[in-house]
Amino acid sequence: MNAIVGSAGVILGFAAAGFGAISLVVGLIWQRPALLRQSITYAGLVFAGSLASFVAMERALITRDFSIEYVAQVGSSLTPPLYNFASLWGALEGSILLWALVLAGYILLVAIKFRHRLTDPLVAWAMVTMFLVALFFFGLMVGPANPFTTWSPPVGYDGPGPDPLLQNHPLMVAHPPMLYLGYVGFTVPFAFAIAALITGRVGEGWLVETRRWTLFAWGFLTAGIILGAWWAYEVLGWGGYWGWDPVENSSLLPWLTGTAFLHSVMVQERRGMLRVWNLSLLCATFALTILGTFLTRSGVIESVHAFTTSSIGPALLGFFAVIVIASVGLIGWRGDRLRSPGSIDSPLSREGAFLANNVLFGGFAFVILLGTVFPLVVEAWNGDQLRVGEPFFERMSVPIGLALLTLMAIAPALPWRKTNVETLATRLQWPAWFGGACLLIALALGQRGLGTLAGYGLAGFAAGAAIRQVVLATRRQGWRGFVGRTNGGMIVHLGVILIAFGIIASNAGVESREFRLEIGESGVIEGHTITLVDVYQEDLPRKVRTVAAIQVDGGEIHEPAMNLFRASGRAVPTPSVRTTWTNDIALSIFPVESIDDPIGIRAVYQPLIAWLWAGGALMAIGTVLSAFPGRRRKPTDPTSAPLPERAPEGASS
Amino acid sequence: MSDDLAPVRRGRTALVSASIVGVVMVAFIALLATRDHGDRETASALLGGPAPAIVGETLDGGDFDLDDLRGRWVVVNFFGTWCPPCIVEHPHLVAFHEAHAETGDVEVVSVAFEDTAEDVAAFFDEYGGEWPVLGEGVNSIAIGWGVTGLPESFLVAPNGVVVFKFVGGVTYDDLDSVLSAARGLPEEGLDDEDLLGELPEEVS
Amino acid sequence: MSSRRGLLVLSWGLLGVVVAVVLAVGTLGGAEPTPAERVRSLSGQVACPTCAGQSVLYSDAGISVQIRTEIAQRVEDGQSDDQILTALAQAYGREALLTPSASGAASLAWAIPGFAAVVAIAGLAFAFWRWRPTTTEVSDEERSRVEEALREREVDGGA
Repeated sequence: MNAIVGSAGVILGFAAAGFGAISLVVGLIWQRPALLRQSITYAGLVFAGSLASFVAMERALITRDFSIEYVAQVGSSLTPPLYNFASLWGALEGSILLWALVLAGYILLVAIKFRHRLTDPLVAWAMVTMFLVALFFFGLMVGPANPFTTWSPPVGYDGPGPDPLLQNHPLMVAHPPMLYLGYVGFTVPFAFAIAALITGRVGEGWLVETRRWTLFAWGFLTAGIILGAWWAYEVLGWGGYWGWDPVENSSLLPWLTGTAFLHSVMVQERRGMLRVWNLSLLCATFALTILGTFLTRSGVIESVHAFTTSSIGPALLGFFAVIVIASVGLIGWRGDRLRSPGSIDSPLSREGAFLANNVLFGGFAFVILLGTVFPLVVEAWNGDQLRVGEPFFERMSVPIGLALLTLMAIAPALPWRKTNVETLATRLQWPAWFGGACLLIALALGQRGLGTLAGYGLAGFAAGAAIRQVVLATRRQGWRGFVGRTNGGMIVHLGVILIAFGIIASNAGVESREFRLEIGESGVIEGHTITLVDVYQEDLPRKVRTVAAIQVDGGEIHEPAMNLFRASGRAVPTPSVRTTWTNDIALSIFPVESIDDPIGIRAVYQPLIAWLWAGGALMAIGTVLSAFPGRRRKPTDPTSAPLPERAPEGASS
Repeated sequence: MSDDLAPVRRGRTALVSASIVGVVMVAFIALLATRDHGDRETASALLGGPAPAIVGETLDGGDFDLDDLRGRWVVVNFFGTWCPPCIVEHPHLVAFHEAHAETGDVEVVSVAFEDTAEDVAAFFDEYGGEWPVLGEGVNSIAIGWGVTGLPESFLVAPNGVVVFKFVGGVTYDDLDSVLSAARGLPEEGLDDEDLLGELPEEVS
Repeated sequence: MSSRRGLLVLSWGLLGVVVAVVLAVGTLGGAEPTPAERVRSLSGQVACPTCAGQSVLYSDAGISVQIRTEIAQRVEDGQSDDQILTALAQAYGREALLTPSASGAASLAWAIPGFAAVVAIAGLAFAFWRWRPTTTEVSDEERSRVEEALREREVDGGA
């Protein structure tokens, strides 16, 4: 029953996407508006299909319908309801199902939003692009990654449940959907970029209309990445939140190009420049989401995020190739005729700073992509096997990160067009002193090292610049000083700066100790005392759970545990973290043979970890604020003021 | 459709850039498409090179130095008393050692990993084996040989070059066929990785 | 005006001195890394041979624990970072190190980003050089047309 409904949903979605694309192309070529107007119907059908299959799969999971292979693979009668619900995206086929649902949702929303303009060729081509993307993902489910294949389970069969690591923390429920909302969301601006290239209409109109879609996709991706880091931190027990694993890198790549776009698009809206560059960034962002999906799921690069190797690798690579060739071909064909005549007057201007920003973000993405695929390239070149890991990425990202912080400090104070050094020096005076104060405080607190100190100083400088903007804007516009792109953007900046502080401090101050304690004994890490209070074992279905009650600084009791799964013999730790605003102590215990032995405890001390999560929250809030309309500017308003008398004073939206 | 485009063509920057990016991306995709998917096994870095030193005290109190065994083939076996496959392979090693005991052309040496001398002594009492055994505090020897899991064994040629690595438990037949194949190699070919690559694949 | 300007120069000059002093104090004469810090940093540079890409620092696989112990032992014996990494690379192969080497094909991992940085800076400089401000003559007629448009816009905006 579930399998039938699910398969029917997949086929409905596949067919609707296919027919939608065909009828739109026919309507566009033979100019039949009636056909173009049908796209909203097809969008509805695609969504209905994906929703039906999603609901069918969830129903199968909840009712433990083990006749579906996927449920037999990830389901188990012992999984708690929350993780059981989330196990839909715990393995390959289900993750494609979620992807298709999110994509169908976006397509339907676009169709509804543009319902009065469905006959506009720009919108129609965008719909065609999105239907083709949907066709691909539904095609995966019809073909190589069919989630609804059935089998006959033996009587009394019970599945193994999701991987133990995936049912260890509630963040696992939120992290993948967030990431997918981000990844898939970039389909919308990509589709409009392709449509703009096909129709040759790169006026700023469509950009303004898709800006918010891009912003939300970016916001979801940001949230997804940070939730992923948080999950790794809470669950893996190493005190690490980012490992530069290929899979983590491939989620960062579209984030970097997306961030570059969100900045450079302002130059286009304001000055009409960088049109082709912006289109390229949108295409690159979408292509990178597909590349990331390919790298995650094809097994071509070794990674800890083990998605079972499957046959969809070639399909994803082929799709990536189609996207790249279509984008590059369209840009090569159209690009030179779409380029705008404008030019940047001075490097010392807002647009100059955005350009530098783009170079830095583009360079960052390039370096990470290089490091991620470099082992493959060398192996193909001369057969040598090598690895590129954390030390490489850290050495690369420190200078780029410092340069970005510098830019973040200076750029908000720069006006459009051009300025002189004196104006800039006046505006940046207090932010710079704020940075200097941060530097002094860091030194006084015992921080050492050029990179670390420079990081604190520059982050403080950037924070000062952002706060100055917010203060000026609220003084001038009241509560509206918090909303709108520029003002909300400054809130996002403040979030980024909190994260920068957290990264710098935790890298500089990390301290890890291993203790072997008997009940009643204590150990000391960085001046904090941890005392083993009690040890007990719980016999649960499938696993034995050893819990150590540990008191930190004579205060709250933490209970890190070690779960020994009987069937697989796997030992999965459940760490416990003592969090304060100034530092974290992550506690985890080693597997034990008998609870009467001394317990091996690992304690990882890191300063300012909580700032990472607070910064992430602030970024999310800032993103929402940016999406609110700020001070209204009509599309017909001049995007730049050619007359010197009317040159804008100070930063305006 | 192209009427509303700007009439003036300004250079070919976009075309040229797109072409370059396109060529690079096609090469990149071709590269990804031709890569193996899945696990790859790497040959030991030691093959064809001089055997790392093994110096230490054996269980029976004697001094051991691998270099003293130059002129004979040596099977270096890394094992642990707590590792089930090591117990499985042990009789094969014993048989192999006995088969060569008379001619004395092959020596076996066992190096324990994460173990205690007591356990190792008990292990050899129970399962037999009359060859030098290094039992305790010798983990760094295994690290020096690039051991990643137990058991692992290496074949060292009379001139002190490592010619073969057995991953996992060995059998008498494996040892025998690798040894006779390695004997067939010219002396000066022992450090040639290509030639070593022609040694029989081990049967697992 | 000039006194304000003087103050500004003074303020920035002072800040420059403060920053230079702080950075000098915080960088020069810094303590040698402690053995524990060296073990941590070295462990972060060695791949766990049986895992998928983690360093031995972030792995509890048996062999990782042993390699960490070995590194700690060698640090205690007074070996240099290079000696320790070379020894491990000899035993486990070059792929045991997570940092690409500075020679051979692997050095491209370092050279290409450096090259890209040079190209990026040169490109940016070229773009700004090409976009030197061009002064366009604005005729009176154009000026009045713009003003008219702006007036109309304000009327619109009031509505």
